[in-house]
Amino acid sequence: MTQDFGRRTFFGGAAALAAAGLLDHVPGTRLGTANAQTARTGTLKIALLGLDTSDPHRHTGSISVQQVYAEALTSIADDGKAIPYLAESWTISPDGKVYTFKIRQGVKFHNGRELTAADVKANAERVRDLRRGWLAAPMQLVSGFAAPDARTFVMEMKEPYGPLLNVLSELWIVAPESPGWAATVQTPIATGPFKFGTWVPNERLLAPAHDAYWQAGLPKVAAVEFNLRDTVDYTLALRAGDLHIARATADQIPVLKADPNIELQFMKDTSWIFWSFNNRKPRAPFDNVKVREAIAYAMDKPALLKVWSGDTGVATNQMAAPGNFYWDEALHKADKHAKPDRAKALAMLKAEGVDPSRTPLRIVSWQNDYSQACAQTMRELGFQVEHLALDDIGAQRRLGQYDWDLAPFGSGPRADIFLRFVRLLSDGPNTGLWGSPQDAAFDDLVKKAVAAVDLGQRRALYLQAWRHAMDNYWTVVIGHSAEAIANRRDVSGWTPGFTWGSARVDGGAGYASLIRGS
Amino acid sequence: MIRALGVPLLRQIGLICAIVIAVFLLIRVVPGDVVDVMATEGDMTAAEVAELRAELGLDRPVPEQLALWLTRMAQGDLGMSLRFERPVAQMIEYAIPTTLALAAKSLAIGLLLGVGIASAATIWPRGPAAWLVDFVNLWSIAIPTFCVGLAAILVFAIGLGWMKVLGNGFVPAIVIGIDIAGQIVKPLHEELKEASAAPYVRAAKARGESPARIVLAHLLPNAAPVAIALSGLILAGLIGGTLTMEVLFGLPGLGTLALQAIQGRDYPVIQAAILLFAVAIILVNAATDLLQRLLDPRLRR
Repeated sequence: MTQDFGRRTFFGGAAALAAAGLLDHVPGTRLGTANAQTARTGTLKIALLGLDTSDPHRHTGSISVQQVYAEALTSIADDGKAIPYLAESWTISPDGKVYTFKIRQGVKFHNGRELTAADVKANAERVRDLRRGWLAAPMQLVSGFAAPDARTFVMEMKEPYGPLLNVLSELWIVAPESPGWAATVQTPIATGPFKFGTWVPNERLLAPAHDAYWQAGLPKVAAVEFNLRDTVDYTLALRAGDLHIARATADQIPVLKADPNIELQFMKDTSWIFWSFNNRKPRAPFDNVKVREAIAYAMDKPALLKVWSGDTGVATNQMAAPGNFYWDEALHKADKHAKPDRAKALAMLKAEGVDPSRTPLRIVSWQNDYSQACAQTMRELGFQVEHLALDDIGAQRRLGQYDWDLAPFGSGPRADIFLRFVRLLSDGPNTGLWGSPQDAAFDDLVKKAVAAVDLGQRRALYLQAWRHAMDNYWTVVIGHSAEAIANRRDVSGWTPGFTWGSARVDGGAGYASLIRGS
Repeated sequence: MIRALGVPLLRQIGLICAIVIAVFLLIRVVPGDVVDVMATEGDMTAAEVAELRAELGLDRPVPEQLALWLTRMAQGDLGMSLRFERPVAQMIEYAIPTTLALAAKSLAIGLLLGVGIASAATIWPRGPAAWLVDFVNLWSIAIPTFCVGLAAILVFAIGLGWMKVLGNGFVPAIVIGIDIAGQIVKPLHEELKEASAAPYVRAAKARGESPARIVLAHLLPNAAPVAIALSGLILAGLIGGTLTMEVLFGLPGLGTLALQAIQGRDYPVIQAAILLFAVAIILVNAATDLLQRLLDPRLRR
């Protein structure tokens, strides 16, 4: 199988369109005289997520900021597919094991040096050796890297790894001469539309424009300033005009909608909302799949979804949202729990010999309304509910103790569906939210899906694995909702992407400009 | 005098040590540590979590961690932030000026308002100042600074567009200043009223001195020990006020630093920030004690 976005072919057809100015948002078409742009004005002020480290290879969830200064081989398009970024094209060997990337020519690091395949190789090796972060697992499957010439980077895998192109969108390419490369990179010298600039942890990152950026005409503002304070209500600052772009929670949406100066947009991937049973060490009677099914019948999906996300959610029974390639309509239509059926829930519990009034049920959750509503559902069924509503970190620790029965949670966007499936694998990362099922059959199906070279076959295997999870009632999905990101109307050209990333090849901070006077 | 000051000072130093050790232990009772933070955000496997916890020394027994931290502290080393891999001293150094500036401005506004209103109410007992004493006092008792700050943002920043929210150091100082004024104005006014009946005030009146001069030149200096004795109230108002205002207005001070460190379980930063707060309180108390002794000869006996 090959997937080749050959540069000649790509630009051959693109030339006429470019002349007509129709390719402004097609990735890679802005390559040209980097400095041939209009004067950049203004500082774009953004507040999305925090930044924990200046070293892009050590990132632990700092997934919204570093995209403005560091780029990757691939970028995630709005439909979730990997598209060319620092790699202008790639081919995959028929056995799905060898990925050959053609590195884009004319890409300059912030220090003026041109990017080569050797730089990409050095970054891949560093990430592999650090053994940390989201790329740790795929890097264990790599049998070798090579840079046969300045523009070719080859990645050979021990076995086919379907999510590779998508997860490579988070392998940030940094110049090996960046200070701290041997330990922790302090000042990343990369290729993004903005330079690393000045970072004050928990407060701000000021990133000035990269004058020699490879996409001509970008960036459009002189600098971008990220507000990194965890504790501030960003929407107040947004409405007051201190910020141009800020994340918004569901309860803030009605106020923002009413403000004529504010525009609401949504991320392209969704968060999925669910409740999980303790699958690692289930206590009786919750070790009985029929009891778990009975409890699922009591769940009022539309109501719970409204509590989580207001009117912006969509109820379903899968980890992929409606419209996503991996979502299955037939499975959705066959959802037995689309509407609550409390009578059936009680009858099933009785049939299994469970008297809720004599059954303790411990819930671990975050401190939010959704978990309160879930706990109330259980109380109405009659269970002796003990609800431990903890902060993020407290919940994380408690989940890992597996001394609970039910965990209502949600999880945010990911660059690839595999990064959701991986959380249910026996040796997966951070599995507490899904009760850590240890199931060889599920593991096998997911591993087969990952190794499937054919996309249709991969989808079928993922669906089979998900059906297996559903049949066992490990995790019951309530639905999906997209994260809202609000911007002031004096910002032009800004659109949120598939994940939290604030910049990408075809959108984000690099494309945003400020209307004069703002 | 030295002995009189030395014993309480030793007691205070002992108190600082107790506070610091209590914080060290209490923060470890709170579920979760910085590795849980990273694992939550970064999808780490159980093996990676264990490896990182060992790397950061968080898997060692708590007494061992405490001994290590105290040894470093004795050498003046506040350690490194577990979350940001930066020297804690650098982070504290960055936060202090913001908090000090806010506290100084708030204190100045609070004293100016409190002393001013109390003085005016003494000079003109039937004027609007007498009403203001009760109003400001009730304001500070009834309305939390957080609500006043939020209302100020909604009205002046969002409604009228007169000010910015993030980094605004002026409005928070007014909010805290009114709160401080409300706490000191009532007892100060009572003290001034009571002192108005003293023989030296009657003598001043007999000499034909104006009411304003009597208050400013005679009553206020004599009421100064009372104002200083209220420093406990002022300090509490300042610490509580700066913390909430820093968070509300996004000011990068010690309060914000401590709060974010608690949320992120960044132990060395939490310990250093609490230590600093404790030292500040002890120092202010010691300074108050000293000032009171200097101003009131009766306390020196």
